[in-house]
Amino acid sequence: MIRKKWPVLVAIVAGSTLLLSGCGQQKSAISDTPAAVLSSGKATGTVTVWGQGTEGEQLAVVAKDFEKENPGVTVNVTPVPWGSALSKYQTAVAGGTTPDIGQLGTDWMPSFATALTPTPSSIDTSGIFPEAVQTTDLGGTHYGVPWYVETRVIWYRKDLVAKAGFATFPTTFDGFVKLSEALKKGGAKYAINLPTSGFNAYINALPLLFSQGANVTSADDKSWTINSDAMVSAVTDVSSLFSKGLADRTPSVAAGATQAAFVDGSVPMFISGPWEIGGLKAAGGAGFEDKIGAAVIPGTKPTSLISGSDLVVFKTSKNSDAAWKFIDYLNRPAVQTAWFTATGDLPAQTSAWNDPAVADNPIAHAFGEQLKSVKQLPSASTWPQVSAAADATWEQIVKGSTSVSSGLAALQAKATSLGMGN
Amino acid sequence: MTVDSVRPPLPRRPSRGRARRDLRGLVYVVLAIALVVTLLPFAWMALGAVKTTGELLRDPAGWLPQHPTWGNFAAWFGALNIGKFFTNSTVVAVFTVLGNLVFCSMVGYALAKLEFAGKRVVFGLVLVTLMVPGVVTFVPLFVVVSKLGLVSTYPALILPFVATPLGVFLMRQFIAGIPDSLLEAARIDGAGDLRIFARIVLPLCKPALATLAILTFLGSWNNFLWPLVVAQSSDMYTLPVALSLYSTGQNSTNYGVLLAGAVLIIVPILLLFVALQRYFVQGIAVTGIK
Repeated sequence: MIRKKWPVLVAIVAGSTLLLSGCGQQKSAISDTPAAVLSSGKATGTVTVWGQGTEGEQLAVVAKDFEKENPGVTVNVTPVPWGSALSKYQTAVAGGTTPDIGQLGTDWMPSFATALTPTPSSIDTSGIFPEAVQTTDLGGTHYGVPWYVETRVIWYRKDLVAKAGFATFPTTFDGFVKLSEALKKGGAKYAINLPTSGFNAYINALPLLFSQGANVTSADDKSWTINSDAMVSAVTDVSSLFSKGLADRTPSVAAGATQAAFVDGSVPMFISGPWEIGGLKAAGGAGFEDKIGAAVIPGTKPTSLISGSDLVVFKTSKNSDAAWKFIDYLNRPAVQTAWFTATGDLPAQTSAWNDPAVADNPIAHAFGEQLKSVKQLPSASTWPQVSAAADATWEQIVKGSTSVSSGLAALQAKATSLGMGN
Repeated sequence: MTVDSVRPPLPRRPSRGRARRDLRGLVYVVLAIALVVTLLPFAWMALGAVKTTGELLRDPAGWLPQHPTWGNFAAWFGALNIGKFFTNSTVVAVFTVLGNLVFCSMVGYALAKLEFAGKRVVFGLVLVTLMVPGVVTFVPLFVVVSKLGLVSTYPALILPFVATPLGVFLMRQFIAGIPDSLLEAARIDGAGDLRIFARIVLPLCKPALATLAILTFLGSWNNFLWPLVVAQSSDMYTLPVALSLYSTGQNSTNYGVLLAGAVLIIVPILLLFVALQRYFVQGIAVTGIK
């Protein structure tokens, strides 16, 4: 029996070697296709689009309008579950069965570079948030167009903050601490929910750290600055929320626990993105909507993370002309405004934010303000490892088992040894 | 019961009888606890399926729905068109099960009872493929299917699973236990291999076939990643893919729809198990496979 296991090992090793060498070969083929020049007429033929989750469901409605404008075109939308969408795209690329248009999360973009076609120069991206456009820039060429953006803000209970004596949400960190103390005095168990352990705990805290002027990489993205003076003082400030009892050192990680604590008022603030609104409204029931507020992350330089989805055209597309025209259509400010109304997705086009449908929405307003100052996660290929190590360090610091300076110094040493990759 | 019949009769003493009654009572208590522990998640799922999202997210979560609603089920039967996904899942599961019953029992018979050159090598190969994790062959399999032009068709969903090494192994082990003399008697009476297989081996294999049917059905019914990848239009989605699509967003989950969908998906499996459980238990006892 033991002898018989060898063929398996050999097969696995051989298989993975093949896979790896396959990837290697593809990498060298980046940007071998020149950007298409779009024809001047209307879009014709058939375009297949994969869209994830809600986006996929709503996209079919928008596609009807596009078909009305271009009578010769048929758009087939396939909604894809978010759950394993990444595997689905990866396998489709391997098997050569990609759709014409795909919706890729901004953080997936680098791994798909070899499967995409460059954005035609006639598509105008000048009105789009520059940090979002940057996600389509893969080695100097743009592959795709940002569709919608996401960022994280502070969700807070308007009624409880008002009761605590604050007419407006504080914009400085000191003001934020005062508000937190007042909320706690007013009966809240903790003022804010901040994840302390597990996957992405550190990333969740990053907006607060960024907003105190700290950054994880140097301005030129060439080195890690995890124990810079700014970072040490920012982490000291933020971790003081835990030592003062304003944030729970061991918050519940059960699904929906954060939202439940928000609704019952026991923890009236948390940091998250625009996707929360639907769940909060549903959890709170009738009339709760008026109690939900969103505010820019407080600090000397309020800065949050930006993410979202880009629309791309795959190399295997037989109708890239019509595909790009559909993307260009979705890129129009008016269409983006309508999309916001239908899905709540934040428009990537800055001018769409001037439309009253977006501008007069108080929650969207907070996101609009926050988007004026956003950062991407580091583009270093070692970031996932650094981020995982940072999650562990963050937990040690928050729970007091290491000091801020020594914890960050160790993390910096680890990050430096991992390097920036690429 | 069987224990009693095997053991020599003991002199009856009242104290011993009471002890045995006490022991039996204890066994029932333990079984009852195990039953409750097993069923609680199902009960929670079924109760959650008729709760509103607000109620599901409330902390502490209560057991009984305060405002029972059929909205979650209505969503599945209305806008989400569950009938189509149900048909897909059923077609795929039924054909996968049939394929396994036919092919695995045939291969199992050959490996157990026929003598031919390289038999041990073939059986070794079957065992080897049993040890290769599915993810290793995932991408190559997809490339093969796409080269055959089968992407987004029923054959693409069925063919890769139509004969499984586990099924071959299970059937081979079971058939090996059938006495050779029985088959030899049939052979002397003039029966060929096909007739022996169909008339003698298959009827004796009922417990193993039922086990194989349930295992394959479960595997096919719950399979998520392959149908997701190979079905490229929502017309071809199966139930688990649809469940993931409509209930789980990028950052948020619609728990009510998720639980209602889970209830709808589990019901057919429960029915199948209840129908076949007698054979299933027998099959596990005889082959030692679960």
